[in-house]
Formats: sequence, C-alpha cells, structure tokens
Amino acid sequence: MAMAMAMSTTADTASRWSLKSLSCALPSLNSSITCSSLRFSTASRRQHGLTLTRSRPTNIQSFTNTVSLGFSDCNSFGNNFSIIDNGSRIYAMRHGRRVPKLNRPPDQRRALLRGLTTQLLKHGRIKTTRARASAVRKYVDKMITLAKDGSLHKRRQALGFIYEKQIVHALFAEVPDRYGERNGGYTRIIRTLPRRGDNAPMAFIELV
Amino acid sequence: MAASVDPLVVGRVIGEVLDMFVPSVNMSVYYGPKHVTNGCDIKPSMAINPPKITLTGHTDELYTLIMIDPDAPSPSEPSMREWIHWMVLDIPGGTNPTRGKEILPYMGPRPPVGIHRYIMVLFQQKAPLGMVEQPPTRANFNTRFFAGHFDLGLPVATIYFNSQKEPANRRR
Repeated sequence: MAMAMAMSTTADTASRWSLKSLSCALPSLNSSITCSSLRFSTASRRQHGLTLTRSRPTNIQSFTNTVSLGFSDCNSFGNNFSIIDNGSRIYAMRHGRRVPKLNRPPDQRRALLRGLTTQLLKHGRIKTTRARASAVRKYVDKMITLAKDGSLHKRRQALGFIYEKQIVHALFAEVPDRYGERNGGYTRIIRTLPRRGDNAPMAFIELV
Repeated sequence: MAASVDPLVVGRVIGEVLDMFVPSVNMSVYYGPKHVTNGCDIKPSMAINPPKITLTGHTDELYTLIMIDPDAPSPSEPSMREWIHWMVLDIPGGTNPTRGKEILPYMGPRPPVGIHRYIMVLFQQKAPLGMVEQPPTRANFNTRFFAGHFDLGLPVATIYFNSQKEPANRRR
C-alpha cells in the first residue's frame, strides 16, 4: 500500500503531516460514526471526515475530536483498534504473513486473483475491497513485466494466467510504449468509502 | 499513507489534468438531489441533464466552466484524453452557468469501459471573452493549453466525480 501511495506522489507534494490527519485516517470505530453523520459534507473519497473544501476545516476537526473523546474509553491503544465480531484473531502486527489468504481455499484464491487482474487490465480501473486490491497488485505487476519482455515464452505464460486472450495481445502491444520507462509500480490504489451492505473497506485500483 | 490528503491529488486530478492551485471560489454541484463531492459515484442516468451549479463570488467577475473526462475511452487506454463535455464562458459570479455563454452544449457522461473521472473546472476570466469558436472535436482537449491560450491562469475551483456504465439489469 505504501508503494502504491508513493507512486502517486510526484514532486508537487509537500507532505502535510499532522497528528489530526494521521489519527483520522486510521480505520477506527469513531470515524465511521463521524463519517455517517458528516456524510453530507464529506468531500473526499478517503473515507473520513477530515479532508474537505478548505473553507471549513476547523469545525469538522473539532467535531471529530469531541466524538472520538466520547468513544475512546471503550478501546485502548489510541486509535488503532478494530472491532472484530466474528471471533477471528487480530493483532496489530503483520509479522511473517507473506500470502494474503483472502478467506478462500487456494484454488479459489488463484481464480479470484486471475479474474481481478484480467478485469483490471481490461477496464483500467476497478473498485474492489482493499484486501483484494492490495493482493492483486503483485499479479498485475507480474503481467506487465511479462509484457515488457515480449518474447513468445512470456506471451504464453501470460496467456496461461489471464482469462481472455485479446487482453494479452493488447497488453503486449501497448506496454512498451506506456510503461517503457517506468520501473515497477504500475498500479495505484485509492481508498474510498466503505460498501453499504457489509461496510467492507473499498478501494479503487487503477493502472498508473 | 498518502503524503497528501487532498482528494484532488489522491485522485490524480491535479497532476494529470490540472496544476496545483488554491481554491478561491466555492462551487457546489447538484445532480438532482445528489450533491457532488470529490470522488463520489454518479450514475450516468442521473447525469443526463446539466447539473445545478451555484458559485460564490462577485457579480462583476466572470468565470469559465469546463467539464472534461480524462479517461476517455477507457482508463487503461486514454487515447482520447481529455474529452470535453461542457464549456460555458462569461458566467457572472454568484450565479449559475445558465447565465453564461454555452460554447459547447452539455453532454452527459457515457463511459463505455471502466470507471471514468469527470472533472468540473472553474477558471476566473480577466476580461469578457465573447465569442470563442467551438473546438473542432470533443476529443483530445487539453485543459492546460486552453487555460494558457485564453490567459485564464490557474483554476479557482474544481470538483470531480466517478461514473461507470450501468449494468443492464438493476443489481440489488
């Protein structure tokens, strides 16, 4: 996720860090409440009521702070809590976790990732859950790297992964022009508002 | 975490289409009952008619509004970037674009493939522009070139939304 975000910052960004922006940007119970009540004025697709048109930043920030004070005593450790109701174990760290399992057995997982990369290469920008978006980055980058190489063997390897062969041929035709100078990081993830049915955190993933 | 929290930078509106600017005018866009916020989702069926736009500002100032799609025809292959949907000149401040001169009639979003961004950019005019000829085609419009050509400078307000082709059957 950091890599995809880093790709989107070019020379024009002076990093405007502030404690308020950090605390409001972390996924938390408080911000979902503030988000729902402030939805009419939320001007950002980054899910939390902090980023708005510049006319009224101070009111919303103070509102967010007061609400978070009211709710913070049911969860400790500042703001990095997550309420998991289904009994699965959640820790704050990711030590040693190399493969995103996506709650699926291995064959389904592979099929899901193949389908997502096919659709991303076909449409250019798709909207899925954040876990899937950050899992599919690796495979999309792999496909683009195969296309950059361009040999027959790589083409056949790509045909074995992507479901539609038109997409493979189009990819091999246009990748050298489009990504010739770029080394890696061919996708960008933009987080958006959660999905209505199950409050799953969503994201746009797009080809850079 | 993004180094910048500004939704226009995160959505790459600033960067691909515009340059960094400081918004000085409040522009609120309404498609029917829906208020447009940066990055929100608008269905093409809701956007067939031009939106209601209200601007702040003095009545003696003139503004130019353009609506463009930088992801035409598809976000992965934007060969027709940018596609201009609407161009209105000489809008008096504090009113709406119906009082301006519509150079290009409004065309609603019709994204064929993928999720497209639609950007509404507002510039402040230094002088009345009068008659500007229509661009020969809506495709391959360049906002920076347009602003430079008519000496419009940096934008004063921008809003963008996403839109995608609606599935034929109503989902859920």
